[in-house]
Amino acid sequence: MTNNLRTRIRQSIEDQTLQTALDNNAERRLNGRAAAFQSIPDWRERRQRAHAIRADVIEHLDEYLAQFIAKNEGNGVIVHRAKDSAEAINIILDISKSLPLRTLSTQRGKDKTLVPLSPVFRGRDLRGEKVLIAKSKSMVSEEIELNHALEKEGIRVVETDLGEYIVQMRHERPSHIITPAAHLKKEQVAELFHEKLGIPYTTDIPTLTATARKVLREVFLTADIGFSGVNFGVAESGTTCIVTNEGNGRMVTTIPPVHIALMGMERLVPNLEDLSLMLSLLPRSATGQKLTVYTQLLNKPLPDQTRHLIILDNGRTRLKNSPLKESLYCIRCGACLNACPVFRELSGHAYIGKDKSIAPYPGPIGSVISPGLLGENFVHLAQASSLCGACKDVCPVDIDLPKLLTRVRAGESPAVDDRQLTTDGAGLTWTTRFGLQMYTRIATHPKLFAASQKFAALTMTLFSPRSQWIRLPAFTGWGYSKDFPRFAGKTFRQRMENGELGVGNRGIENRDSETFQSSNSPTSKPSHLEQFSQELTALGGHVTLTKNPTQSIIEFLNMRGIKKIMLEPNTLDESLLREANIEFTNTPDDQTPVGATNAICGLADTGSVLEADGALHASLLPEIHIAVLKSSDILPSLPDAMKFVKDKNAAVFITGPSRTADIEMTLTIGVHGPKEIHVFVVE
Amino acid sequence: MTQVQLFVTCLVDSFFPKTGQAIVDIFSHLGISVDFAREQTCCGQPQFNAGLRKDARAIAEHTIKVFENTTGDIVTPSGSCAHMFRHNYLELFEGDSLWHPRAKSLAARTFEFTEYLVDKLGVTDLGATWDGVLTYHPSCHTLRGINVDRQPRALLANVRGATLVDLPHAEECCGFGGIMSVEHPELSAEWLKRKISNLEASQSPTLVVTDAGCLMHIAGGLNRQKKQQRVIHIAEVLRNV
Repeated sequence: MTNNLRTRIRQSIEDQTLQTALDNNAERRLNGRAAAFQSIPDWRERRQRAHAIRADVIEHLDEYLAQFIAKNEGNGVIVHRAKDSAEAINIILDISKSLPLRTLSTQRGKDKTLVPLSPVFRGRDLRGEKVLIAKSKSMVSEEIELNHALEKEGIRVVETDLGEYIVQMRHERPSHIITPAAHLKKEQVAELFHEKLGIPYTTDIPTLTATARKVLREVFLTADIGFSGVNFGVAESGTTCIVTNEGNGRMVTTIPPVHIALMGMERLVPNLEDLSLMLSLLPRSATGQKLTVYTQLLNKPLPDQTRHLIILDNGRTRLKNSPLKESLYCIRCGACLNACPVFRELSGHAYIGKDKSIAPYPGPIGSVISPGLLGENFVHLAQASSLCGACKDVCPVDIDLPKLLTRVRAGESPAVDDRQLTTDGAGLTWTTRFGLQMYTRIATHPKLFAASQKFAALTMTLFSPRSQWIRLPAFTGWGYSKDFPRFAGKTFRQRMENGELGVGNRGIENRDSETFQSSNSPTSKPSHLEQFSQELTALGGHVTLTKNPTQSIIEFLNMRGIKKIMLEPNTLDESLLREANIEFTNTPDDQTPVGATNAICGLADTGSVLEADGALHASLLPEIHIAVLKSSDILPSLPDAMKFVKDKNAAVFITGPSRTADIEMTLTIGVHGPKEIHVFVVE
Repeated sequence: MTQVQLFVTCLVDSFFPKTGQAIVDIFSHLGISVDFAREQTCCGQPQFNAGLRKDARAIAEHTIKVFENTTGDIVTPSGSCAHMFRHNYLELFEGDSLWHPRAKSLAARTFEFTEYLVDKLGVTDLGATWDGVLTYHPSCHTLRGINVDRQPRALLANVRGATLVDLPHAEECCGFGGIMSVEHPELSAEWLKRKISNLEASQSPTLVVTDAGCLMHIAGGLNRQKKQQRVIHIAEVLRNV
């Protein structure tokens, strides 16, 4: 079993393409993270608070869950609880089968009033076609191997996150929880797209991304069910929070008539204020962003939309009652994977179980929760770590991962299916176990200890009389890449006992210990507007100051030769638009190039705008999103804006144009959401 | 006269007695006597890290008993053994009403060598000299386990004649990881390779460490690759007058 893993490790190490991709991932992500944390100098204090919040949630999980569920039911969400993967899969199958979905889809085309939620549907006859699920990234769905189960039942599932889409087409599992295709080079993606999507071979990442946009747009518009994971559930308000960069998360939660959200039961925070704190840490840790492009907050289903929320246990209760409880604090940012020297050699594909299946969660956190949730099959993964602590260092909720890894090794992961196979020294090879147990005997008997040292020194001098180093064979493990030092002829204790440790004379100069001063250069604070503009511009967004937004927008549209826009009512002066011969519509469609909306507020520290309900489609479907924002509505930071979220059905903080870095970590603008965002700030 | 207890560690005792000697010398010069409890052996870290808790507890109980018969602060030339005393012993005896308090008193007395010099004694200049270039590798358990980093750096900064250069990616593990270097030699080898190439990139002929584990690992790798660079424990640099 350990040998399977070691074989897999060797394969990964020898794969040069993979190694380059992994080095690339580690370096970019760690640098990005470090840069992003510079903007919150109090991050240490924040992460302690985040740790305390998560600890409180897990401690009182039942109460928080009850509150969260009651709120959701009050909000019109259909809540299901699944105790394991089989139950979760059955719930999803039942939903898929019980609705006359394909009929609905067909009627959607014929009679737009029937399903006003999806007027974008273009009316193809889909009778006889498979039920289609458009899926946004969800690690929990990987955990329960959902796609496989659904496809077996004749349901078509399409992953819509670019990285997930790529690995799905390659019939692979994601190699990283945040960047699923982190293991691939662009040439491999180019070949895949050429072969499967029939486009001419190209390694141009924007072209590849645009191809995915085009193909998947069709999927969003014709899907019967949109499926997503959940990043956080807010107990007090029942809000589900989903963070994405590409916009696919927004598509699957707003376009299809049914939305199913699947969440691990531990993913709760008490209230929106705590959520703001988590959101200041999650994207910074995951991708080095101050805020992800789309931070969605869903309260109620949209008009004519059905929303199901499935809350999954699948071993979490067991984990909660075990010494690995702290692993449930995890918010799945993936920072520990990026920092981990083991992951950097392996990628997620090499974390394999005894049965050679790939663990759903890789990296340091994976080596704790994969055995924690799924049992003995993955216990040996925890031995593949030097306990270097780089993971704990970057964890945004300060999980003591090295401690948890030693607990898995000590056989303290919970028993699954009553198979109590985990023991002391779990996953250890028998030779190491035997050697260490011998050493325990020696180390608890000082005389034996000293005698063994002498014996070892003598033996090793016989083997290696001339050198201080001994070349051990590779099978010993140590001899694989380094030599072993010879025992000292006279150990320290012998020298001590013989009184050989002479004392010389020399002067000692004492100095006060150094004082370290932080260099706080006093700089004048920029105004909220300046800061907003600076942040959004840095992300590739555009900010225009204006006294007359309609006039400025007309000028912009004329310059770009655009004659038709999707318009949220009461955003612009409609008579001026008519005079300028700009056609406008309130009905969302897939063809109009520009959507103009009112921003509820802006956030100075991240360059975000808040949109809700009526503005959701206009800010998502077109290639260009124009937001009108009053300068007095620019607030300092996310926590200041949470009050506007409470009474909305659904809201989203938009931070820059939609983007991805799923191919070779190369930032590419414009995936499923708008390629451009223009904010017209009204003075 | 102040007295410290030296927990010399099994590795220094068996393989690098000169490091122990350097520490005794340095303390003598500071007017501090060093007591060496002869019954001491190993801290039990290999067993603990392997998950063999029963074995680790046996060694930890032995060690606690040995030092309960002594007085003064316990100083050790290893960040990982200090981490073992201060953190893992508490983990080992969690919920044990007999041993947990005893482990706690041991933990409160334990200091890593450079931490003791700088934080307890307020010494950052030992009058040491060095002819040439030095670079520093912060051992994982020294740096992240017990948060000791500015102390060894401050001590090295005051070594006369030494040119200190940065080790690229210094904070990366060297691949020792105790039993991991035996259980997963392939991983260990990759990190060692990277550590050695970073050492070469630093152009320093000498690498300074605070832990004999990293020392034997990196030096063993350098010897295998027939490289000229050497690895030295910080105590031996600081003793060099």
